[in-house]
Amino acid sequence: MRMGAMFTDVIRALFQRPATRQYPFERTASPDRLRGKLNWDAEKCTGCSLCVKDCPAQALEVFMVDKANKRVVLRYHLDRCTYCAQCVVSCRQSALTMAHDEWELADTDKKLFTITCGDDADVQRLADLAPKGVNEQT
Amino acid sequence: MIDEKREKFIIPIGPQHPALKEPGHFEFTVDGEIVTAASVRLGYAHRGIEKATESRNWTQNMYLLERICGICSHIHALAYCLGVEKLAGVSAPPRAQAIRVIVAELERIHSHLMWLGVAAHEAGFDTLFMYSWRDREALMDVLESLTGNRVNYSANLIGGVKFDISTDQRDTILRALETLEERSKHYLSIVTSDMVFLRRTRGIGTTSAAQAEKIGLVGPTARASGVARDVRVDAPYAAYVDFPVKLVLHTVGDLESRFVVRINELFESYRLIREILDHMPEGEITARIPRRIKEGETISRVEAPRGELFYFIKSNGSDMPERIKVRTPTMCNMASVPVLGIGQQLADIPMILAGIDPCFSCNDRTTVIHQGEDGDVWTWERLRQHGIDFYRGQP
Ligand code: SF4
Ligand code: SF4
Repeated sequence: MRMGAMFTDVIRALFQRPATRQYPFERTASPDRLRGKLNWDAEKCTGCSLCVKDCPAQALEVFMVDKANKRVVLRYHLDRCTYCAQCVVSCRQSALTMAHDEWELADTDKKLFTITCGDDADVQRLADLAPKGVNEQT
Repeated sequence: MIDEKREKFIIPIGPQHPALKEPGHFEFTVDGEIVTAASVRLGYAHRGIEKATESRNWTQNMYLLERICGICSHIHALAYCLGVEKLAGVSAPPRAQAIRVIVAELERIHSHLMWLGVAAHEAGFDTLFMYSWRDREALMDVLESLTGNRVNYSANLIGGVKFDISTDQRDTILRALETLEERSKHYLSIVTSDMVFLRRTRGIGTTSAAQAEKIGLVGPTARASGVARDVRVDAPYAAYVDFPVKLVLHTVGDLESRFVVRINELFESYRLIREILDHMPEGEITARIPRRIKEGETISRVEAPRGELFYFIKSNGSDMPERIKVRTPTMCNMASVPVLGIGQQLADIPMILAGIDPCFSCNDRTTVIHQGEDGDVWTWERLRQHGIDFYRGQP
């Protein structure tokens, strides 16, 4: 039995660097595997919708805007995504990847969280096809 | 005139922050400082997660179930995956099973260190709380670099795991373990020698082995009372078959033994992770699994950081489960609080509660938030009608 068993820890800590970091002034590099924002490669995507089926958060929507030419538009709801990477695994074409350095995604404007990706012309086509009242963000 | 002898003084604690930052309601009848009767009311964090699994496919459910608990998320997914794999008649490759166990043990270490801090905080020993949490941060970084997420790691897939462990990552893990082992030795000596702290733990809330059996305690709480009960040993799963763990036991059964058992379990986890990393099985990390799971039902048991976690899974042959039932360790251990609390000082109750390492989210499960823009309040009538329509729509 002794008193103040952690006394030495406390004294030693006085001469050590603080364990906390002054974020956002001081940043550490994110690990390579960090699951950040989802990136989508329109050229690889075949519009199979497997990613949509497996996404647990309904964060993805895939629209086939032109079946004949395989033109696909993907809508990604950043605010719903749980960064589980299931879509990345589910995609057989490796069209989806997660950016390890894009993780500071908070914003005050909710509209910015709905991201429609794809060729400009395809996105426009989707906007034309969409029923009235649906607000499109690009 | 009121008969003063018959009046009872009841102290309600919770549902907000009953010693811990989670919801639960306790009522303690006291005579002076001594507790004479106690009752627990749970369910404040009930979120209907088991029901929600019935309207999601097998893959999506893994992520939902992982969110039953933020501290032991991996073990929930693991129990579920093992069960579904059993139903499908597929088993994950050995390398995947080894990675699963490594993540599970890393999770156990983070959970035990976190508990050490919380329990010390309940005892008023905030220095230990701060330092153990600082050290735990190193482990969180390891988990983040290994899996990509700090909390809900989503490491599993039905049929395997998402990632491999590279040589670099192996070294990172080993380095972190080395520091943590040093620190854990230090913490073990503190919790068994600091005079002030021992007055809060030694001889408090003592549970005999017979009592532990009767209440049905599980996990480290039971092992602190000398009950040899650990799913990893009794019914090895995943890579525990090839890499057996040693059972960590203590016989006294008071709060101090719970500290000793949990910290000693840390050493066993360090050893196991090192052993697996040294003898990693080679090969694939995923096995193909059908989208529709064969009809049937199964149970799956794993050892979560807090004790036995139990899953019942039933499939009707479609791409969604018919029924999933989860029993979490806190549910079993919670029963000990009203029993052990009786006869103790009221001031010791938070420590007795913290001693079982309670996790209320585990107990209660999840809700689904409608993602539309139309936030509105449902009347009772509308809710009832929705329920009727929901079931009518079912095949
Ligand atoms: S990371 Fe997970 S939640 Fe996010 S879009 Fe992909 S599957 Fe959906
Ligand atoms: S799974 Fe891949 S190929 Fe299929 S729709 Fe999604 S991104 Fe496109």
